[in-house]
Amino acid sequence: MRVASLIGGGLVCLVVLVAVFASQIAPGDPAAMVARPMLPLFSPGHLFGTDQFGRDVLAGVVHGARISLLVGVAAALATLGLGTAVGLAAGFLGGFADAVAMRVTEAFQTVPTFLLALALCGVMGASLTTIVVAIAIASWPLSARLVRGEVLRLRTLEYVDAARMAGLRPLSIALTVVMPGALVPVAALFGVTVGEAILVESALSFLGLGDPNVFSWGAMVANGRTLMRTAPAVALLPGMAIAVTVLGISLLGDRFATRQRPS
Amino acid sequence: MTFALSRRTLLASTAAVALPSWLRVPAAFAQTKGGTLVVAADTEPRSLNPAIVASNGVFYVASKVVEPLAEMDYQTGLRPLLARSWDASDDGLSFTIHLREGVTWHDGEPFTAADVAFSAMEVWKPLQNLGRVVFKDLETVDTPDDHTAILRFAVPTPGQLIENALPALTSVLPKHVYADGDIAENPANLEPIGTGPFKFAEHKPGEFYRLVRNEDYWEEGKPYLDEIVYRVLPDASAKSAAIETGEIDLTAFSAVPLTDLARLEATDGVTVIPGGYEGITYDLTVEINHRNPILANVDVRKAIAHAIDRNFIVDVIFLGYARAATGLVPASAEAFYTDDVTLYDFDPAAAEALLDEAGYPRGSDGTRFSVSLRPAPWFNESRAAGDYVKQALQRVGIAVELVSADPGGHIKAVYTDHDFDLAIGTPVWRNDPAISTTVLYQGGLPPGVPFANQYGYDSAEMNELIAAGASEVDPAARVAIYADMQRLAADELPLLPLVEFTFTTVARERVQNVANNPRWATSGWADVWLDA
Repeated sequence: MRVASLIGGGLVCLVVLVAVFASQIAPGDPAAMVARPMLPLFSPGHLFGTDQFGRDVLAGVVHGARISLLVGVAAALATLGLGTAVGLAAGFLGGFADAVAMRVTEAFQTVPTFLLALALCGVMGASLTTIVVAIAIASWPLSARLVRGEVLRLRTLEYVDAARMAGLRPLSIALTVVMPGALVPVAALFGVTVGEAILVESALSFLGLGDPNVFSWGAMVANGRTLMRTAPAVALLPGMAIAVTVLGISLLGDRFATRQRPS
Repeated sequence: MTFALSRRTLLASTAAVALPSWLRVPAAFAQTKGGTLVVAADTEPRSLNPAIVASNGVFYVASKVVEPLAEMDYQTGLRPLLARSWDASDDGLSFTIHLREGVTWHDGEPFTAADVAFSAMEVWKPLQNLGRVVFKDLETVDTPDDHTAILRFAVPTPGQLIENALPALTSVLPKHVYADGDIAENPANLEPIGTGPFKFAEHKPGEFYRLVRNEDYWEEGKPYLDEIVYRVLPDASAKSAAIETGEIDLTAFSAVPLTDLARLEATDGVTVIPGGYEGITYDLTVEINHRNPILANVDVRKAIAHAIDRNFIVDVIFLGYARAATGLVPASAEAFYTDDVTLYDFDPAAAEALLDEAGYPRGSDGTRFSVSLRPAPWFNESRAAGDYVKQALQRVGIAVELVSADPGGHIKAVYTDHDFDLAIGTPVWRNDPAISTTVLYQGGLPPGVPFANQYGYDSAEMNELIAAGASEVDPAARVAIYADMQRLAADELPLLPLVEFTFTTVARERVQNVANNPRWATSGWADVWLDA
């Protein structure tokens, strides 16, 4: 467990560093057609070679890290924010509001997350913002149900009763007394959600529904796919980047989730 | 998803081809009869009625079943099919067609002039995407006998235009099948009945179309093939692999990745055939929205023309399978083409100078102005050209934001809502400028007409030339009018022609008589045969 989380932490650190220093590692626009097309791996000045339009693959991979992390973190925050708000309201208000909120989450959970995100992106048009919004809309129900469950458990505990008897208003009890406790499992969900969001963004870009103005890993794999027989590295390298990033995040997330579990 | 699909289509192919090829009895003579030709289909058109939807996707399957009056030919220009001969009157008011005798429909009924009259008046003129323009002045069709049809026009209509329109616009439908009820809802639109060398047998959605030999075809001894099976294989790499392993015999319309062509050419038993598409040459264009006041300035449009390296698009995006365009009439259309027009060399410095003079200097961030760019999503090459044009324009200080959409969304945004600054378009040349080329320059079209001038460009001079060409009955005078039109288009640059491209066919070497006419993939294939 410890080793796994160390490896996960290392991978995540590596990806974050690459994203932060992308412009130092590979200056300029990764979409620029800078060299002769189809240079092989380890060409001088183009370590990962170039694709069929002469775009530097290394530049695409390091700048892609920014896009993936940006989308992953933004989508996870949006997902968990939406889920927490709904879950907190449902758990605290109870009754009719709770029933409605839970039926809505069930309705959403019957549709596979990716298909829903795909449909939303198709309707709203392709940009990073719509991808983040689509992922959040498609995946908030899990965290909403989790938070609601925690709220239902916590509100029966003595310290909440104590707060109520101390004369705190219901809203303050919800936000200052119950919510901190309910957020613990949500925090454990954060890593998983980031990883899933990165995968969804990659898949959307692979299908051509990504933002055409940014150079993302999914789009690079889609572009390189036609070259699989002649220059496999063009598709494999960004594909490996996706795999490494998601693996790192989920190893680290698992560790975090186990630590949060009450022993 | 890909796996499930390929397994399904694999099953479909094994069902259709009963025996593996090595088990089939080898034939001893040249032009062997028999055999099943398995070809790849990219799409499954909703309708298979080429008289209503005259598009390459429909023709690819349906032109083997439903025949036009004549087909294009490398030697003679036109080869008679259902028509034996034709002649236009000097005043351009009538066009007489002498029809082949002894032809029967696939259901056994005789083919007569009544079928041609019905198709022309009830289908080509009111319903067909291209016929609406070409046959707009068709008033009536006289049928003095069973094998003569006389098209009569209200205003002079060039015989040259009608002749050039014969291959793509005159698929003849059986009157006895279509006479009752709504033509657009007729079941024969999905299971076509024609006079062609092959009969429609079945369509399994998502799997295949199957056509079988018409034993009663009018041309003695043809067709050679027993069956044609179109396997639905939308994925380009899958097609490439399928032709390599011999699962399919042929893919048309450059359906494999261009980067695979060199490897396939080197593969034993596989050949790459570049010709056979001259009659359906495409142009890659930059479409320009003249409602944007910056782009309405002709010097800005000329600067954009100078900023784009057409040779880069030819060499890198099309891997040489294209040529730099001088206008929207392709060089292969020798009758109409002229290169005596203003040309815009790749010259970024000239582009920058033009933009400076036009009053758009680089700002502090190096940017002169920003535009949106919508690349047509249907070809890999049109999307790639979008990426390239963005780079090329940014180099001269024009910031570009790419906007992508699915095909339906793209067509609506550009041709109905006019929600674009620049777009990458792919108009198609169809043998005569008045069929699908002049509509790209003609002013005053209503919004919603796709692949036409929705650019807000309206020039009195251009409109006059287009009107003159549409009614000039003297062929030489007509050619001169269209030469003037090409010159005016190059001077005013309402849209930028970048490169012209056709397609390649990849086939197993045993497939014979491939690419032997300029519309080969969309022709009848009566003479295609398989070498054992």
